Amino acid sequence: MFNRWEDLCNVISLRPLLPAVGLPTPVLPTWCLILYFLDIFHNMDFSIRPATLEDCKDIARMLLELAEYEKVLDQIKVTQKDLEQDGFIKNPFFHGIVAEVPEEHRSKEGHTKVGYALYFYSYSSWKGRAVYMEDLYVMPEFRGKGIGKALMSKVAQLGLAAGCSLLNFSVLDWNKPSLDFYLSQGCSDITADMGYHCMRCEGDELEKLAQGGT
Amino acid sequence: MDRFKLRKAEPQDVPDILRLIKELAKYEEMEDQVILTEKDLLEDGFGDHPFYHCVVAEVPSEQQNSNNNGSVVIGFAMYYFTYDPWIGKLLYLEDFFVMKEYRGFGIGSEILKLLSLTAVKTRCSSMHFIVAEGNQASIEFYKRRGAADLSLEEGWRLFKIDKSSLLKMSSGPEE
Repeated sequence: MFNRWEDLCNVISLRPLLPAVGLPTPVLPTWCLILYFLDIFHNMDFSIRPATLEDCKDIARMLLELAEYEKVLDQIKVTQKDLEQDGFIKNPFFHGIVAEVPEEHRSKEGHTKVGYALYFYSYSSWKGRAVYMEDLYVMPEFRGKGIGKALMSKVAQLGLAAGCSLLNFSVLDWNKPSLDFYLSQGCSDITADMGYHCMRCEGDELEKLAQGGT
Repeated sequence: MDRFKLRKAEPQDVPDILRLIKELAKYEEMEDQVILTEKDLLEDGFGDHPFYHCVVAEVPSEQQNSNNNGSVVIGFAMYYFTYDPWIGKLLYLEDFFVMKEYRGFGIGSEILKLLSLTAVKTRCSSMHFIVAEGNQASIEFYKRRGAADLSLEEGWRLFKIDKSSLLKMSSGPEE
């Protein structure tokens, strides 16, 4: 952190002032450092916007990070190219939103796209139009700053604008931080409350079923 | 019962689809949860960008309540396409129901076969759906056909947010 004096100056916008006070740029008074720390811990600037084709590289990166967190990295088959083909065609299979931070707050590896959500429109035979939030992820070093809430809020806004009255998503039962977060946002666990189990028929079993096997 | 027919639902099937949705909800003891109307179903399923697709099962009928083809709709399945960024496109089965008096004739199996074929043809990796854990008959039906219970096997819990919480959430995160 202290190695990047240019970052420090940019963050607290003091660079234009420095020649006026006669200080060389590498040497800054203590009050600058205090302001720098306050700025870091104040609400970080971020923006939420719709994902573009160019974002697929970062979404694929973060998707793998999320899969690693959920301990299922070996199950990933989708590539950046799949995301580009499936999300940016005339009738896309999913929609995405991205959380971005300014350059001066970029991650340790230099990324400014620090979070994303993937969602699509679904249908409830009881309530009608619904939205399903498939992924919600914020890079670990950017958590605790309201980015996750902002992403979810945006999905809710977009869903309501499309006439949806329901938002659904799934969480793994061992993922306590996420379970706590969602319950605090007014969500209901309908597996626990109503006993609904998620079922899947895939691969060979799906082929067998298609051929009429029981 | 070898004279049943499966076909893609048409706009004129909407009253029957709603009738069967309510029958299924009643079977699940959730009849009062159905707030969908025929108008919603028509707009959402038969517009430019449908939110769902539907197949219906019909049998010939001499009764007065048969449709214009002299048939009556006795079963249906509602589905749509979803996306798993790990494995790609999926077919999601939202509702699947055959009227009680027409069960045991293989109609349900044929509907499931048609849906699986649709999934395979549209290059879906998987077909997903939910079942209430109390509905043992359905769970056995699906497990016999190779379905896996992801809630039990992988620990997935399904969450929902209803409209009032959605409105609160969409008005901005609390700081």
